[in-house]
Amino acid sequence: MASPMLNLVGVAKHFGEIEALSLVDLQIHSGQIIGLVGGNGAGKTTLLRLMAGVMEPTKGTITFENKPVSQMRKRLGVVPESTGLYSRLTAWENIRYHSRMYGVDDNDSWNRVSHFAKRLDILDALPRHTKGFSRGMRQKTALIRALAHGPDILLLDEPTAGLDVTSARTVRSLVQQLRDEGGTVIYSTHHLAEAHQVCDRIIIVHNGTIRADGSPNELLELTDCESLEEAYVSLTADKARARAEDDAKEGKLSRWWRYFLTGSTPKSEVVEDE
Amino acid sequence: MSESFRFITTIAKKEIIEFVRDWRTLLALIVIPLLLFPALFIALPMLLQSEAAELDALELDVVWQGEPETDLLNLFSETKLNVSLEQLPSGLNNLSDIGDEQRVRNDEIDVIFRLQKVNETSWTYAIIHQSTSEHSREAMSRILVQINGWEDGVINATLIDAGLDPETTLDPVQWDGNLDSADSSTKGEQAGMVLSMFIPMVIAIWTASSAIQPAIDMTAGERERGTLEALLCLPCSRLQLLAGKWLAVATITSTGVALQIGGLIFAITFLASSSIIGVPTISILSALLLLGAVVIFVVMVVAFELALAMKAHSVKEAGSLLAPAIIFIMFPAIFTQVINLDGIESWWFAIPLVNILIAMRELLLDRVIAEHVVIWLTSSTLYAAMAAWYAAKQFKREDLVASIS
Repeated sequence: MASPMLNLVGVAKHFGEIEALSLVDLQIHSGQIIGLVGGNGAGKTTLLRLMAGVMEPTKGTITFENKPVSQMRKRLGVVPESTGLYSRLTAWENIRYHSRMYGVDDNDSWNRVSHFAKRLDILDALPRHTKGFSRGMRQKTALIRALAHGPDILLLDEPTAGLDVTSARTVRSLVQQLRDEGGTVIYSTHHLAEAHQVCDRIIIVHNGTIRADGSPNELLELTDCESLEEAYVSLTADKARARAEDDAKEGKLSRWWRYFLTGSTPKSEVVEDE
Repeated sequence: MSESFRFITTIAKKEIIEFVRDWRTLLALIVIPLLLFPALFIALPMLLQSEAAELDALELDVVWQGEPETDLLNLFSETKLNVSLEQLPSGLNNLSDIGDEQRVRNDEIDVIFRLQKVNETSWTYAIIHQSTSEHSREAMSRILVQINGWEDGVINATLIDAGLDPETTLDPVQWDGNLDSADSSTKGEQAGMVLSMFIPMVIAIWTASSAIQPAIDMTAGERERGTLEALLCLPCSRLQLLAGKWLAVATITSTGVALQIGGLIFAITFLASSSIIGVPTISILSALLLLGAVVIFVVMVVAFELALAMKAHSVKEAGSLLAPAIIFIMFPAIFTQVINLDGIESWWFAIPLVNILIAMRELLLDRVIAEHVVIWLTSSTLYAAMAAWYAAKQFKREDLVASIS
């Protein structure tokens, strides 16, 4: 088999004392849509951020064609969950800013952008400020921005979250088209039906560990379940934890001050059903 | 063009465009600094002048209580004081005793002037007035001026009657010639002296305060709006990102400071035409060193503010951090105005912030003292580098990404 494009070996990520991801091994080959599926706080976003090279793993290595991923960011396109559009700039200015940072000429960028904008039906919106954009338009603009420099791998963090049915369908269709043209897409979602519909390979992330990795059919076989939802539930039976980053980001002083003002939070007693 | 330079200029350009698109920012950045000094130095004196002329034109009502003195009465009428005569009320403890007098308080008249003759050469007087009324204050001021003139006349007459020369008796030691012509400082040096008292303070306070808004907007603001993560995914390093943002904030701040100084120069030129203040004369070396001092100061302050703003998780938190930090810049700025520059010890030029502000004062006086220049240049460059290092450290923090949600 060809060597993986993106290779994660023994990757772990800690935030202070909290382990957000533990010992992840993953090989990503080109020409696939890979779905990262998991609940809130499972570690999907942390895994995507590590793959995007904006965070360094505490343990292990992440390489892109055998080079550290932080050196290969030009080959990646990223759409974070928040989309990250500047409201005082037009959609085109937002896209052009990123393209210039990737060293793409404005004309080349426009050619690619107008192609995708037509495909996503937002060509007319490109000269408009993004301030009044709907969630769907923002997501589409961010997607075009990530594609404008022709990346080899596209990392999408919940790209259809909050979108209406038509917009979500358009985004999914574009992602599939990119795969068909030889691109690689890593797609985080907590919608199993969507993952089933779009992804060639599904990676189930739960409490910072990878619980399963395979095609939808392989997951069904592995769990002996009839639906992906049942398979997911059987693979993630243990209680989901809180977001690791949220716990880690409160400093000792803030914690002390909160305790000083409000006292300790009472612990509820769990009454077991008889 | 190197890749690093391209990253930095692209980031800076975008930050500036985005920042100035807000009309409120433009108002704060261009209009206010440009108009501040002309408003203070030109419009305010003009307004005061016109108000004074308005007061001068007023006819004011004075009630004179007591025996009238013809000379003084004539002086009153020359200054538009309408005098009506009355008897001095009885039962007063002294002339300042208001008693149950309510006419001044009710604005029926502007003041009551009470005069009582003690003997042939002395009088006592009081003016019942209302200090919160402009008319009453103006009437009192006019009366006091006329009383002083009348008093001088009385003194001179007494001295002449006694066979003395009033001029040599009252002013036996006199300055010979013109006070200004005895000053060996040139007009330009005098202007430099005046400007050195507030230009460093203006630069310090304006740089620190005008950098706050862009520094917060481009760091904590990005973090809060969720645009920082997309930015961190770009193929530039965090240091390049910091440099781009620093360049943008420094450009915006410098523009504000330059416009303010432009407004100041315009105001000075206007005042110079009225001979109120001269145009300062400084050498090219002093001017270049002054520019260098401003640049180092901007590097240091902007880096420090960017670092603090990046440390914050939200715009609100950044505001809470930066507002008190401004005090640390304002205090030295005010403090250095009172430091005596003649024979100043060299160690002053090594104290952070104070050193650069004193250096600006010296340079505005066209004093280039090699020892001082070496000390402030070296120490300030070191402090600016430390501020930049601290900012870089904040930009490299991992929780910068982890806390975005």
